[in-house]
Amino acid sequence: MTRVTLTPADILRWALILAALAVTLFPFYWMVNTSLKPGPEVFQSPPTFFSANWSFDAYRVVFETRPIGRYLLNSLIVSVGATALSVVLSALAAYGFTRFFVRGAAAFVLFLLFTKMLPETLLIIPYFQIMASLGLVDTYLALILAYSSFALPFSVWMLIGFFRTIPRDIDEAAIIDGASRLQTFFKVILPLARPGLVAVALFTFIIAWNSYVWALVLTTDANMFVVSVGIANLVGEYRVQWNELMAASVIAALPVMILYGFLNRHLVSAITAGAVKA
Amino acid sequence: MTVVSDSLSRPALPQRRRGQATRPGLESERWHGYLFIAPAFIFLCAVIVVPLVKAFWTSLERTRGLNTIFVGFDNYARVLESEAFWNSLRVSLSFTALCVAMHVAIGLGLAMLLNRVVHARAVLRVAFLTPWMVAPAIGSTVWLWLLEPQFGVVNYLFSAVGLIDSYKAWLGEPSLAFGSIVAVDVWRGVPFVMLLLLAGLQTIPVEQYEAAGIDGASPLQQFRYITLPNLKYFIVVASTLDIINTIRMFDIIAVMTGGGPIGATEVLPALLYNTAFRANHFGEAAAIGVLLLILVLAFSVLYVGLTRTHAQEGSR
Repeated sequence: MTRVTLTPADILRWALILAALAVTLFPFYWMVNTSLKPGPEVFQSPPTFFSANWSFDAYRVVFETRPIGRYLLNSLIVSVGATALSVVLSALAAYGFTRFFVRGAAAFVLFLLFTKMLPETLLIIPYFQIMASLGLVDTYLALILAYSSFALPFSVWMLIGFFRTIPRDIDEAAIIDGASRLQTFFKVILPLARPGLVAVALFTFIIAWNSYVWALVLTTDANMFVVSVGIANLVGEYRVQWNELMAASVIAALPVMILYGFLNRHLVSAITAGAVKA
Repeated sequence: MTVVSDSLSRPALPQRRRGQATRPGLESERWHGYLFIAPAFIFLCAVIVVPLVKAFWTSLERTRGLNTIFVGFDNYARVLESEAFWNSLRVSLSFTALCVAMHVAIGLGLAMLLNRVVHARAVLRVAFLTPWMVAPAIGSTVWLWLLEPQFGVVNYLFSAVGLIDSYKAWLGEPSLAFGSIVAVDVWRGVPFVMLLLLAGLQTIPVEQYEAAGIDGASPLQQFRYITLPNLKYFIVVASTLDIINTIRMFDIIAVMTGGGPIGATEVLPALLYNTAFRANHFGEAAAIGVLLLILVLAFSVLYVGLTRTHAQEGSR
């Protein structure tokens, strides 16, 4: 370890970084702080930044009195479903693109890029009309199809990058050894592409988990609310119990935070591929 | 090429080379490629292309009660004649311009600060990214509490340091509500730009700065003559992507204001949503959507053009 000497420039730099970090993270601190307070203390003025009364009561109450468990389950089902569908379709497509000469491939990839940029509010109208006429409003299927549709272009895009790093000689060796194309794909290439598949799957899961407007439109039955809609819906109540609401927010945000921990390495390529719907 | 500029450009696909000897066993099964792509292609047609066509079709129709009639471009005429649309366009454009400008300015500043940090950079990067990781709907819910008029901590902190002399209804007054929405979007959007620009900064060779330092260039001159020219492409691409993302942004507004008060935060996606799902005028909403799409597509074409030109220059 070399000796660290601090110049005035270093001190200024760190002061600025820490100030920016404070602004960035303060809302999260306040979310956690509020979620740990007992009900009356939430409405105390001036507000308390630390409290001797911190407890997990609000978490217990929000689970007991609100269908948060149900919301989480709905989000989980929909997100896992969308992830599975999207990863299967995109892995097949990315393999097709990187292993074969496909007429119109460049045009298709360009089309993928444009679909990532479509305003989702525009698509929601016809999508809602179609789902309503098929009787699929308030079903998991409607949300799974919607989430896969906007995760798919991104997944194909990222997987093309991953599959490209696996030499085509490996496919050819497998085929010369007597494997069929599908066997080669499932038994040779997919295992090699596993890190890429995992990254794409996690990102798809996060996209689905974080999504809001589609579920807002496509669910009317409170039993079918996903967690983002369920929580935002609590705000509309007559008197908002902020400590419970913040506890629910912590629970909803936590899975995503943990998943991002695993994804740090892929952030830049994913962010440019449009991993997150703004 | 670097990771970033690589992923900013389009993925390389197999090219058929003229006169290339066919490899045994591969050329004969060329049509297999289509089989692998077919499921994704059919799926995207069903869930994106069909709704898109239907949206355009809906924009030419009007439904009143149980009757749906074809009205041609009448919905567009109505939209373009309405004060609400022009207000919304104004709000959308100023929201996008303000947010993107601040994302880029703050993002660039942070990226430059972090680029010089040797220790704990990975940890800092993740910490700065948290606003962007959490669901916009959840982040906005937290901000609703921070900005709450009576018990919100923002009012408390701002009046404690003397920024305001009385508690404000941040989301209740038009100009304050617009500013608040911009602030929340800046909080959420800076990390995206910061991450891209940080990756860009890392492509600049340190030797350039060392040489400039030896020649006696001031930090400001180094920024002007080394950082900015090297980073130009990254800044332009990040801004374009950010414009496309910000102009479509709806979640924050949906949760925090719904477009109010009196249209102050009614960006185009919010106007579209309110027209469709509050007023039940699907035809006019679809027309607004098509106009929004045209706006987004203009920037998308710009983005694709930029990355393609860059990729070609890079491969030369």
